[in-house]
Amino acid sequence: MAAPTRRTVLGLARCWRRFESPWSLGSRSLTLAAAPSNSASPWRLLGALCLQRPPLVSKQLTPMQEEMAALLQQMEIERSLYSDHELRALDEAEQLEKKKSDLYEEKDEKNILLVQDLEDMWEQKFLQFKPGARITDADVKNDRSSLHRKLDRNLILLVKDKLGDQDVWMLPQAEWQPGETLRQTAERTLATLSENNLEAKFLGNAPCGHYKFKFPQAVRAEGSLGAKIFFFKALLLTGDFSPAVEKGRHVWASKEELGDYLKPKYLAQVRRFLLDL
Amino acid sequence: TVACQPSLSIEFSRQEYWSGLPFPSPGDLPDRKEGPSKDFQGLKLPLLLWQVLCLKNDTIFKQAFSLLRFRTSGENPVYSAGGILLTTSRHYRSKPTHGIGRYKHLVKPEEPKKKKGKVEIRAINVGTDYEYGTLNIHLIAYDMALTESYAQYVHNLCNHLSIKVEESYAMPTKTMEVLQLQDQGNKMLLDSVLTTHERVVQISGLNATFAEIFLEIIQSNLPEGVKLSVREHTEEDFKGRFKARPELEELLAKLN
Repeated sequence: MAAPTRRTVLGLARCWRRFESPWSLGSRSLTLAAAPSNSASPWRLLGALCLQRPPLVSKQLTPMQEEMAALLQQMEIERSLYSDHELRALDEAEQLEKKKSDLYEEKDEKNILLVQDLEDMWEQKFLQFKPGARITDADVKNDRSSLHRKLDRNLILLVKDKLGDQDVWMLPQAEWQPGETLRQTAERTLATLSENNLEAKFLGNAPCGHYKFKFPQAVRAEGSLGAKIFFFKALLLTGDFSPAVEKGRHVWASKEELGDYLKPKYLAQVRRFLLDL
Repeated sequence: TVACQPSLSIEFSRQEYWSGLPFPSPGDLPDRKEGPSKDFQGLKLPLLLWQVLCLKNDTIFKQAFSLLRFRTSGENPVYSAGGILLTTSRHYRSKPTHGIGRYKHLVKPEEPKKKKGKVEIRAINVGTDYEYGTLNIHLIAYDMALTESYAQYVHNLCNHLSIKVEESYAMPTKTMEVLQLQDQGNKMLLDSVLTTHERVVQISGLNATFAEIFLEIIQSNLPEGVKLSVREHTEEDFKGRFKARPELEELLAKLN
């Protein structure tokens, strides 16, 4: 009789321990919303924003990719039929040959512009066109707070914030308030960052990543063991920080440069949801 | 009296049959007038055989023999004997052959073929599972080979990620003529003709949590010159694929 009861008690204890630190966002927010004063969870909730500037220019092709592209282009040309322009070119070439053979009677030339002339004109125009530079000034100067650098990569916004008494680089975040969804927390973060200068598009309602950390012993108070941060991804459409904002507080970093700013564990979690193609 | 000779004439092998049995052949049996019960007690005779032995009439005896013979071998006696009862292959409900030849219940009933005109199927938009309904991914570019190859890529990606692709179709090509003002004079000169190609990949059952990642993948893989647009499928999208019918529209205008 004693043995079975002991086993059931142990089982209960195991279940209870497992339940104490769940990962499900829904249950957590529900419990907090139900009893906002002091409920059982010692974790604070934060919603963070991963603001990404999508690449403006496509990446340079590797040598193998260039060979493949050339091969596919060749195949496309060989398999395709003649276009109107090419048919016209062939006809005019025939007419020229007939003229040269001197058996041809002079007919009124209706088309003043031969295909050859058109092609020359187009060639001239193309030479006049100058594409934009891939490497901008900001790249040369390595000015990381400018948005106009690394045009072929994704850039992410990082801000420097006080955590405790230290200045830490992290993704912009804000504390969750009861009654709003975590995505709304992220949108609030965006609004407070730039005072409505930045416009971003959220692709979905679900968070893309999370990070959990415990406060150091000194800061730990009753009811706050640590914090859980949920990241939301947004694509930057337009806008930038106004130059009045003090320098040194924000940085637009690409995936490789994140390592210079973020702490290792935080970085590991953030890297998981960054897609760099 | 019991006669042995008819038995010999009908079936040659009957003699062997009789001799193999654990009881004496009819020729050896005692006179019938005494009655069968006294003599046959010790013998175990099959019932049929006993009936046969009791018959007196020769012709009936012949008939019975043939019946016996064919019963034991399992054939239908009446056919081959050319018997009185001319018959049929009736399969009575009590017999095991009832329902022989029935097959319609095994074949799946064919659905009646739909005539022209597809009916649109609406899916749940945001249900309890948080799934999108039917989504259209439009890829628009000036270069046809590029659009087609990217549409192919998107379709293959959906197959690989187990997203159901309902349809993958092309919208009609739109031609645009770009006219430029000539340097000398006011005449507009034809500069170029641009053709816009559009390919649509229609998917359904996209999970809301996965939709974000999927859209990001498609967007970051876009080649130069291709525009992406992801919309929900509507009636207008569906009707826009059909040709305009000017006569019908004229008649409708006349009515109104």
